[in-house]
Amino acid sequence: MKKKVLSALLSMAMVAGVITGCGGQATQSAADQLEAEGVEEIPVAETQEETTEAEAPAAEAKELDLSQQVDLVFYVMGDAPQDEELVEAALNEKLLEKCNATVDMQFSTWTDFQQKYANEITAQSADLIYIANWLNYGQLASSGAFEELDEMLDTVAPDLKALVGDANLNMCKVGGKIYAVPNTWAEYVCNGVKYREDLRAKYDLPVPDSLENLEAYLLGIKENDPSQGLLTVTTEESQGLKTGFDAAWALNFKYNWVANNGLDYGLAANYDTPSDVYDYWYSDDFVDDMKTMKRWADEGFWSKSALSDTNNSDAYKNGLCVAEVAGQNPNKQITAIADFENAGQGWESAYVAYGETNGVIYPGHATQNGTAIVRGCKDPERALLVLQAMLCDDEINAIVQYGIKGTHYDVADGIYKNLQEEAGETPTFPYEGFNTWNLRNGETKLPQKTDVKLQEMFDKYADLGAKTKFPNVNIYDGFSENYDSYSAERSAVSNVMRQYLAPLEAGLVDDVDAAVEEFRDKMKEAGIDKCREEYTKQWIAYCEEYDYK
Amino acid sequence: MARDLDYEPSAPKTIKKSTGTKVFEAIAYTLLILGSIICVLPFIIIVSGSFTDNATILTQGYSLLPRDFTLSAYQTIFKSPKDILQAYKMTLYYTVVGTGLGLMMITLTGYVISRKEFKYRNTVSFLIYFTSIFGGGMIPWYLMYANVLGLKGSTLAIWFPALMSPFLVILMRTFIVGAVPDAITESAKIDGAGHFTIFFRIVLPVLKPGLATVGLFLALGYWNDWYRSSMFSTNSSTWQLQFYLYDLLNATTAMKQMASNVSMKTADLPTESVKLAMAVVATGPVLLFYPFVQRFFVSGITVGAVKG
Amino acid sequence: MRNKWISGISAVCLILALPFFNWIKVVNLVALFSRIGVTKDMAKDLLTGYNLYNLLSFVQYANQGVLGLFAMVLLILTAAAIYFNVAFIIRSLLGIKKGKGELSLLAAGKCAFLFEFLTAAATIAFVIFSNAKFKMTGFLPGAVVYIELVISIAAYIYIKILEKKERDKYREHGLWVELKRNWVLFVMLIPTFVYFMINNYLPMLGVYFAFTSFNFRDGLWSSPFTGFKNFEFLIKADLFRLTKNTVLYNVVFIGIGNILQIFFAILVSRVTVKWFKKTSQTLMFMPYFVSFVILKVIVYNVFEYQYGLINNLVTQMGGERIDFYNNPSYWPFLITFFYLWKNIGYGMVVYLATIMGIDNEIYEAARVDGANELQQIWYITLPHIKPTFIILLLYALGSIMKGQFELFYQLIGNNGVLFNATDIFDTYVYRITMTQPLSIGLGTAAGLYQSLFGFLIIVLVNYIVKKRNPEYALF
Repeated sequence: MKKKVLSALLSMAMVAGVITGCGGQATQSAADQLEAEGVEEIPVAETQEETTEAEAPAAEAKELDLSQQVDLVFYVMGDAPQDEELVEAALNEKLLEKCNATVDMQFSTWTDFQQKYANEITAQSADLIYIANWLNYGQLASSGAFEELDEMLDTVAPDLKALVGDANLNMCKVGGKIYAVPNTWAEYVCNGVKYREDLRAKYDLPVPDSLENLEAYLLGIKENDPSQGLLTVTTEESQGLKTGFDAAWALNFKYNWVANNGLDYGLAANYDTPSDVYDYWYSDDFVDDMKTMKRWADEGFWSKSALSDTNNSDAYKNGLCVAEVAGQNPNKQITAIADFENAGQGWESAYVAYGETNGVIYPGHATQNGTAIVRGCKDPERALLVLQAMLCDDEINAIVQYGIKGTHYDVADGIYKNLQEEAGETPTFPYEGFNTWNLRNGETKLPQKTDVKLQEMFDKYADLGAKTKFPNVNIYDGFSENYDSYSAERSAVSNVMRQYLAPLEAGLVDDVDAAVEEFRDKMKEAGIDKCREEYTKQWIAYCEEYDYK
Repeated sequence: MARDLDYEPSAPKTIKKSTGTKVFEAIAYTLLILGSIICVLPFIIIVSGSFTDNATILTQGYSLLPRDFTLSAYQTIFKSPKDILQAYKMTLYYTVVGTGLGLMMITLTGYVISRKEFKYRNTVSFLIYFTSIFGGGMIPWYLMYANVLGLKGSTLAIWFPALMSPFLVILMRTFIVGAVPDAITESAKIDGAGHFTIFFRIVLPVLKPGLATVGLFLALGYWNDWYRSSMFSTNSSTWQLQFYLYDLLNATTAMKQMASNVSMKTADLPTESVKLAMAVVATGPVLLFYPFVQRFFVSGITVGAVKG
Repeated sequence: MRNKWISGISAVCLILALPFFNWIKVVNLVALFSRIGVTKDMAKDLLTGYNLYNLLSFVQYANQGVLGLFAMVLLILTAAAIYFNVAFIIRSLLGIKKGKGELSLLAAGKCAFLFEFLTAAATIAFVIFSNAKFKMTGFLPGAVVYIELVISIAAYIYIKILEKKERDKYREHGLWVELKRNWVLFVMLIPTFVYFMINNYLPMLGVYFAFTSFNFRDGLWSSPFTGFKNFEFLIKADLFRLTKNTVLYNVVFIGIGNILQIFFAILVSRVTVKWFKKTSQTLMFMPYFVSFVILKVIVYNVFEYQYGLINNLVTQMGGERIDFYNNPSYWPFLITFFYLWKNIGYGMVVYLATIMGIDNEIYEAARVDGANELQQIWYITLPHIKPTFIILLLYALGSIMKGQFELFYQLIGNNGVLFNATDIFDTYVYRITMTQPLSIGLGTAAGLYQSLFGFLIIVLVNYIVKKRNPEYALF
């Protein structure tokens, strides 16, 4: 019996050998095969797409065929207003008349909105969608999530193009193509420090408009009222690749960097010379700054447990802290003023933008609030037409932004007035009730009461911004990084930041020099050099493209 | 079957308690009281916090008794009573439908994979268990319901995905194996009973503790869920209660963060106390319901079935 | 004897399926490359013939994500075919038998050849599919595929005949008879089948995303295939520490958790005062309703350095403040405590229900025999709980790499100081995916690692348990 098995195995081996012999020759490199066949160049196939494109007539305005009604879905952020249906009906009545189309607003709700936003685009169930740089507009556009608008803007929506302007549209370009239409209301989100003006005056302290003055201000309050909390800083606003702990935002007083907190990966460039990238984390400045942070922590400016703190955005409002340094902007200052007025304890809030000290002030970027057409949209041309109507047509724009005149709002002295709010009811359609900040038309936007103060601040910043080397240009926010080739290193770097940079910036280390060394070593291990190299390359290319030198 | 359903195992009134038993009971009571206190303490903090002024919580922290008593957190939550009642109604609907259907499917499955004569019981068990280890992630799952089945906005997408879970199926199998000895079903088979007869007449009656446990877990799952509303609802009239509350809070915190990027008005909410009131509003009804479930944790039915 | 022959055929099939042979030939190179946009530069990485193991390299280097999923399925089929063939050969050569006669061995053989057949058939389907996709003949199946196809069909039929004889001998039956006999049971399973198909099995195709770099332009199923790129970040991570942390925490959670649950369940079941029984049960259930978000706030208020409740007490008693949030050594205990606190009442219900299912007469008989409380518990209650305990334990093992994300994330947050002691796999992956918000692949890759880890452990443990006592096995 053993013999038989043996013979069976032998014969199998032979069969296998024969087949291997036959098959062995077949495998070779495709390049060699081409070589053997004497192929020099592989012809580029003319895909059908390209031929149609070539045949397409030069861009010129054309009449769309509007005979078919199109029902579009417009995906926006946040929660639906109570009167969604009522306002939608009024809106659709107009839209049917003008574009033979209807729009169904769909809302992300604020729960897990980032995840759901990505899902919505993946599922391609929406037609029009709100975009913003904080919703990864750049990455989404370069990965092909939206329809290209360059040509369509000329053919379908010349009015829209004229309204928005080439400069704004240019800023929405990704890889040389326009994928979004921005809103046309310029706003300033200059970060800065919000502080308690009443306390400052009471104890006769300096205005915290520099690192030294901020320190003096906080120390002064500590001396006069030891029980008063000083800063409520967490890691909430420092999740990116620039900082690890919110207190480090204060360092912006010291540098005239191109962007708040410098560039990613501990790089930096000055606003006046954007393409001249230099190193921050490995510089002596960084060590000094970390020593400042350590000093502040030792002074008890923030809780020793701050790294695990719950994000307490109400702390300032309730007087638990006397200044906020991270993630602040004029809009938040306006809210704080209103809050303090309501509280009625004689508290006052004042605001210093970092740019007022370091001289770098610029408006929000065009991609901050925009609209795009999702790839796979039922009818991109009609969608663009509808978008044009919603932005350019005053009547339609007013319905979308403010609801129905006489029911929801009225205008007095050119100022928006919510009728239900005045009557003490809960508004069923508040100001910008559809959360369509992307449909703000700078020319016709109705100001709210609070907007007057905001506008004053904006005007001040606009003046300052005009004096910079690139007058009122937001350089940094138009840049979108493509990290495909070093994503693993990037993630590792981010992780090291949470683990080693955050404690440094929170001043929780015993020996700053040693901790800085450890942090730097860990960064090297994580592959910071590769990230920096690629990032710098892309950044410089970006600066060159837009001529920021 | 005519037994006292509330029969207690260690209460034979005729036998006098020995000292050992007394010591044992003393220890048992002490430990249980201790455990209960540890468990209920945070809840008292939550309830009292929900009646405390938001600013007071922020400045003075939590306490066991409410300070600066106020109902403002509840007023915020019940700002539009119609909406929250609707959310209660929908949650009740999802819970009842989901628990009912799910319990039926789980019990049937548990029965099948506990049958020794079923040749593929291990294969089926494995295939069910396998789903608890391997998964394709959230996005394919979402696309399955939203795009392939087109259920976005439908209430089906909210209750269907939670009908079964491998854990509950396996648990149910364990209960059935434990409660129904083979001898009984075998004898029933010999008497000519079909599977449905065995299932309804023999298995279900003795399975009360198992049914109550699995049903409780299912119902709690439905009651506490907010995720599927978040994913699939397109209209607030289909929201689950937990999502209604959760979103109220998320909207405030998200909008406050959002305000770093966009000039917008943020809703003003007494966040801290609302957070706590939410827990009370969502938990209250369940705690009222729980003693009702406890009735099913009764002992001593197996014997009745065998003999009866 | 016959088995040896069949296993010989199986070995031939096996050898044919090894990577020596080209299963798929690439023809019309120039036309094909031009059609799918392969440049001469890219052609360096491509071959003129592929086996099923390196087929994915074609997908990757020729940038043809469209074929990725199919090629992946082929690879999985091949792996399955190899596994079953090897298992079959080993069993038949070693003469391992269990159950009735040679039935189980034959079933294994059937399985082996079935998969060989499926692999071959799918390969042909792949060729047809890709040719149709590119609208030209660019691929041809190798001769080996046809040989494999024929051999496997023949062998399968042969085994089927053998099996029939064996079955007649042992009065065993196959699927069809089982279906006829127990059709009611199958009917009972239909809803379950539908449910798991929709909710779990079909979405499971998404595992494929772990190997692609998703972009919206190409869509979900045509995005470029990138091999193990998505797994790179796992290698960059301190994988050992993460795995150790996750597994240790889980072991402690499962172990202590179950013991305490049993302990309290027994206590509650022993209590005679009815209202006390119900109240304590309800009260212990309550922490389950406290969400981690709220727990986080409360915990922070208790353990904070400056104003925290504990530090207030400590300073009032003249002690030194304790810096909880900068000291990793406290947190394993705190986290374990809060886990137990939250889950005891919930998990207890299962054991309580099991205890309630125990026949009272057993206790009564024991009491008559003079057994005291502890003896009753030791000799009656615990043995009755054992099956439930083992099943729950086994069940939990499969998820040993999956952590209590919410618990860790909420209590620790972004506090890097504590990561050494508190970073588990899920929290790490969460932080990483936050840096690449649009990547579907990262999360899927991480999930796949967790799943495989759990799967290997559970299969191993289940095998051991089954050997000792099949009653307790999970499947």
